[in-house]
Amino acid sequence: MKKIIINISLIIIFTIIYLLQVCFFTNFTIAGVMPNILIILMLYIGLYMGRSMGIIYGIIFGIFVDIWIGKSMGLTSICLAVVGIVGGIFDKNFSKDSRITVILMGIICTILYEILLYILQYIFLEINLEIVSFIKILSIEVVYNTLLVIILYPLMKLTGYEIENEIKGDKILTRYF
Amino acid sequence: MERNQRGGIIGVIITVIILILLVIFTNTNSKNISIIDNIANIIIVPIENGLTYLKNKLNNNDNFFENVNKLKAENEELKQKNSELEQTLREFEITKNENEQLKQQLNLAEKYAGYTTIPGTIISRDISNYSKTLIINVGSDNGIQENMTVIADEGLVGHVVSVTNKTAKIQTIVDSASATSCLTNTTRDSVICKGTIENVSTLRATNIATKANIIQGDSIETSGMGGIYIKGIHVGTIKKVVGGTNKTDSYALIDTAVDFEKLETVLVITNQ
Repeated sequence: MKKIIINISLIIIFTIIYLLQVCFFTNFTIAGVMPNILIILMLYIGLYMGRSMGIIYGIIFGIFVDIWIGKSMGLTSICLAVVGIVGGIFDKNFSKDSRITVILMGIICTILYEILLYILQYIFLEINLEIVSFIKILSIEVVYNTLLVIILYPLMKLTGYEIENEIKGDKILTRYF
Repeated sequence: MERNQRGGIIGVIITVIILILLVIFTNTNSKNISIIDNIANIIIVPIENGLTYLKNKLNNNDNFFENVNKLKAENEELKQKNSELEQTLREFEITKNENEQLKQQLNLAEKYAGYTTIPGTIISRDISNYSKTLIINVGSDNGIQENMTVIADEGLVGHVVSVTNKTAKIQTIVDSASATSCLTNTTRDSVICKGTIENVSTLRATNIATKANIIQGDSIETSGMGGIYIKGIHVGTIKKVVGGTNKTDSYALIDTAVDFEKLETVLVITNQ
């Protein structure tokens, strides 16, 4: 029962984040650059729910984003799924208790997602290669996402372990051994 | 533990403040704000006020303060009037905005009278920093189909890439994956205008012929080649011609006629 509630909540959170992205963050920019909270959401799912859930949610959320606003089906799905996988790998190898660690995870995921999406768009949509502009935008986006991770970290930590206990159950190893 | 929690909350609050300040400073026109002016005013204005007060005292001009009660009553009355005026102003602003939006739609329809058009309002913008697609509130129920040209009052916006019953997705000409075949207005040279990720109102004109004569300030319009865009729709003006290492890789930067950041209403041409 709890698992169903968790999954429904994640879908509601995704919808809210999507609406925030298209309505609010298009105007609330730093030097014209928007953040991408979907990356933070996927990192959160990967970290607290595991790699497989990260892949599943990445693909589902990505398909919705591609249907609603994307130009080509599947590109966002692949990138979000990769962030979910990376979140799962981070969960296995690093502690989530440290704020700094989670911030660094957020930075790595943002860089990875944007570079992968840009490469895929370059291959499949034949966009222009503008390395300098891309790095400039990416740097601002990383800063913006980092600030958002700092703000959201207490909430992530508070709800994350509850979800982790419910989803992973007895598969979870003790965090302090 | 409690200390750590308090530190965390303070950290979050500080981050929120930093974020808001960053957004405000990076989005405000620097010409409108002069920090030095403001600081100078903070220091100078009280001194100026004090000196003026002293000057008035010395010249026996301070009888202004004699009828304080009368002034207070007058002040109250003025405050009342001011709030009434503010209310009227707010109502006026709402009416003005509504009027402007309707005028814009009417102008659009008159300007492109030769085409059958359907007006649409932008309801959603792309969530990525590298692509510029839009969603409008008209779809196949209103007669919109894929590949229809989308325009605004000032010029070309883009074309419809997908349609649902109630909405249509538009790929704008400033999208990094977009390429539009265009002609220069005076010399009729052919160029390909591509979107850039650097600026939302700039296009890069490439594939310039070696013998072409590209003039700064010349206007650019669609060539009609490619089968998507109608011929002769205004795209923008040439801002700068950038020469490459040889003549073949030179390009021009084009200022789009449409301000994509403020774009609210568009027209979809249905009789192409």
